[in-house]
Amino acid sequence: MNKRKPVAAARAKTTTSAPAKRSVSVGDGADAHQQLIASRVRAGLFALFTLLSLAITAGSAGVEGNFAFWVDKVGGTDVAFSVPVVLLWAAVTAGFGAMAALQLVRGASFRWRLAIGLVSPVLVFALLTRLLDGTTANLTVFFTSTLLYTVPVGIGALAGIVSERSGILNISVEGKLLFGAMIGSIASSITGIAIAGPIAGAIFGALVSLFFAWLCIRYRVDQIIAGTVINIGALGVTTFAYLRILQPYSEFNRPIGITPIQIPFLSDIPILGPILFSLSPYFYIAVGFVLFFTYMIYRTRWGLRLRAAGEQPNAAGTVGIDVVKLRYRAMLVAGLLAGFAGSYISLSGTGGFGINTSAGQGFIALAAVIFGAWNPIYAFGAALIFGMTSSATTLLSGLGVLIPPQILLSMPYIVTIIVVAGLIGRVRAPASAGRPYDQG
Amino acid sequence: MRLELQKITKQFPGVLANDRISISVDKGQVLGLLGENGAGKTTLMNILSGLYKPDSGKILIDGKERIFRDPAQAIDAGIGMVHQHFMLVPVFDVTESVVLGNEPTKGPLGSFDRATARAQVAELSKRHGLHVDPDAKIESLPVGVRQRVEILKALYRKSDILVLDEPSAVLTPQETEELFEIIRGLARGGTSVIFITHKLNEVIAVADKITVLRRGAVAGETIPKKATAAKLAEMMVGREVQLTVSRSKSKVAEPILQVKGLNVLNDAGGLAVNSATFDVRSGEILAVAGVQGNGQTELVEALTGLRLVDSGTVVLEKKPLHAGSPREIAMAGVAHIPEDRNRDGMVKGMTIAENYILNTYHLPQFNKNGLLNRKAIAAATEQAVKDFDIRTPSISTDIASLSGGNQQKVIVAREFSRNVRLVIAAQPTRGLDVGSIEYIHRRIVEQRDAGAAVLIVSTELDEVLALGDRVAVMYEGRIVGILDAKEATRERVGLLMGGITK
Repeated sequence: MNKRKPVAAARAKTTTSAPAKRSVSVGDGADAHQQLIASRVRAGLFALFTLLSLAITAGSAGVEGNFAFWVDKVGGTDVAFSVPVVLLWAAVTAGFGAMAALQLVRGASFRWRLAIGLVSPVLVFALLTRLLDGTTANLTVFFTSTLLYTVPVGIGALAGIVSERSGILNISVEGKLLFGAMIGSIASSITGIAIAGPIAGAIFGALVSLFFAWLCIRYRVDQIIAGTVINIGALGVTTFAYLRILQPYSEFNRPIGITPIQIPFLSDIPILGPILFSLSPYFYIAVGFVLFFTYMIYRTRWGLRLRAAGEQPNAAGTVGIDVVKLRYRAMLVAGLLAGFAGSYISLSGTGGFGINTSAGQGFIALAAVIFGAWNPIYAFGAALIFGMTSSATTLLSGLGVLIPPQILLSMPYIVTIIVVAGLIGRVRAPASAGRPYDQG
Repeated sequence: MRLELQKITKQFPGVLANDRISISVDKGQVLGLLGENGAGKTTLMNILSGLYKPDSGKILIDGKERIFRDPAQAIDAGIGMVHQHFMLVPVFDVTESVVLGNEPTKGPLGSFDRATARAQVAELSKRHGLHVDPDAKIESLPVGVRQRVEILKALYRKSDILVLDEPSAVLTPQETEELFEIIRGLARGGTSVIFITHKLNEVIAVADKITVLRRGAVAGETIPKKATAAKLAEMMVGREVQLTVSRSKSKVAEPILQVKGLNVLNDAGGLAVNSATFDVRSGEILAVAGVQGNGQTELVEALTGLRLVDSGTVVLEKKPLHAGSPREIAMAGVAHIPEDRNRDGMVKGMTIAENYILNTYHLPQFNKNGLLNRKAIAAATEQAVKDFDIRTPSISTDIASLSGGNQQKVIVAREFSRNVRLVIAAQPTRGLDVGSIEYIHRRIVEQRDAGAAVLIVSTELDEVLALGDRVAVMYEGRIVGILDAKEATRERVGLLMGGITK
């Protein structure tokens, strides 16, 4: 009652203004009306960003942004250049301004995701230079670490996409990353074979994933709860194992690292070579996976059935597709991917496995799934944005910029929250993700 | 192909869903399978399509016994199902939907051969006269066309036996007639068709042979030539039934409910009811017809205070109600029989008595200083159980354990227990047996005769035509026409339901 009164009062106001608004939405139905509102909210946000960046532009006169590249090979000769920071901020301001205007004019048909994708790299640079305040930043390091940070998030996102397309909401990617990291490190340390790490990590990830699928499908456990159980369980088990086994018997945690490879000829290209073609093989495999699964999901029978199971499992079941088997298989693939991604975390550096070494990258991967609208290529693009944030954090903390390290370290997570909660419009999830399948 | 089911029995916990049912259909024949809700039709079809396994009994195709362990085997045997709730993926296009499960592929990765699939679907739809654009997205298609896609799915799988489960539930009369044409065409081409329905006129119109089910068993078999609607209804229910409500001419007086320029939004924020203007007068029944999902639900919710009114006015005897809470509206004299009785009509897990006072418990006769007056509640409920002939062991029985008909009687008794000026009944007889339908209809007509205004919303055209003194038709949120009972022919109402106002 009390709650309704103000609404009733407000209604009197909307009555007068309503007809004008309605003339747009009638006939297009509910979706159009809501999208229109969403696009106006976005336009407002973009306008706000425009004003913010304009203020920063005004404050950055005279500051130089200094950059350097390694020309021929990692650690090789430098080539340096500098850009006035004002110029970068002017570009960002222009970009946001254009987005706000276009969003307002074109409404729901404006491709704002693409626009964010275009503006954000410039924004990151503008922010970087502003914070560096004249210190020189090595961009080769920045770019390579961006690409490498993308690996676990990108492959993790792929795992999320495959399982959610089949109809199982998979928040357990984080747990599988952790398990994959630990098992990968142990397998590599025991066998002394580098490739044993990723393989063991992938297999263990698949086992965990099948257990998760078994809970969800056979026992119809709520998928969010089952996923949370896996995540908490993974943290507990791996931490325990680390403290009781890996730390006292450190020979189990001295993996053979997977070292970067130099791709013949291509790695000799000046500037680009050291950035793109001298990376860990994991990166190239990740790109290969993304292309492969994009093809599989959209162009093959497997993908058609996978999507049908995730959208309308009954439609698939009644034409004779075994939805249960299909979901188990999809979860097997998702587990292999997530475990493989986890092994990267402990095998790419020198440290081996550490407590909570995945540090929430599995959750960031899920954010990338949503931002990428369940499309592997878009999700990988989203993972790149997160990778760039992480890389920028590392760069800034390495150069001793005067920002509290806690704030710097939380940057990737803050970006995740903004992306998922604030800017997301209406992304369409697979309709049946999260719901158990009932035959008949 | 000839299909024969012999003595199919299927037991569920507490229910014998199918009791030695034997039916058969010949090549090129249309079998009408008639039965009320709960007669066992759907169970039988789920057995036929491989979703359930029968406890005993045989399925014979051309005299050979077949056992279906899963839907794939039933499809292989030539059985094509068109389910009541369409089994389509909204984001797929027509081609993908039709071939799903039997996709043409090429290459080592099993790449989906879209060009071939599209050509096959186009050819199929041309050959059978089922006009569908192979590239259209399912979610953009009207239900009638979606049904054609479902039929194409069956034909694509080379089904010789086509089973249609309540196919006309979501169609306008004209669309239903088109469907009948398609069925007749398929039968001429040699397809055997099983047409499941609870609508008497439809089986008479389209079937070659009629089998009637009652309480899980075959109640009788006949052919349309010998059948009349009354006879079939009797077979279906097991006793003589009055198909039309007998009612005197209405004594129409002053308007009780006046709705002007009513706009209501749906959950997604779109316009569900678009400037609805109408009134309902004392002593008349205004029946709102329309295919499901054209704003009827939102209209009723807005009138009863369950959904905010966006703009416009609702006045009940000079008292504005468009900003009222459900309680204010109920206390002003509105009785509401909700569309979904399980969700909005009762609280399962609570007793009949508790359900009976759900919206009057706060009144002084049931409530003293916040304490319920058990004695008064029991007395009032006992009286209602007697008055409305509610079949229950006691008033402290959980309402969930009653049959649908008796649950609905509890709801009707509760709503009619107050001073009633306006009755709003949405789908008041959905899912009820014929006996209960008769009873509920009679009670509603009694309210009208006592001088209340009655608004009935129904997607069953028969119900609308039987009860309405005037018939309003909703289409895409608009009231596209209001007809007097005399002008409201099946034909005219049907056209309006399809949005054709001429």
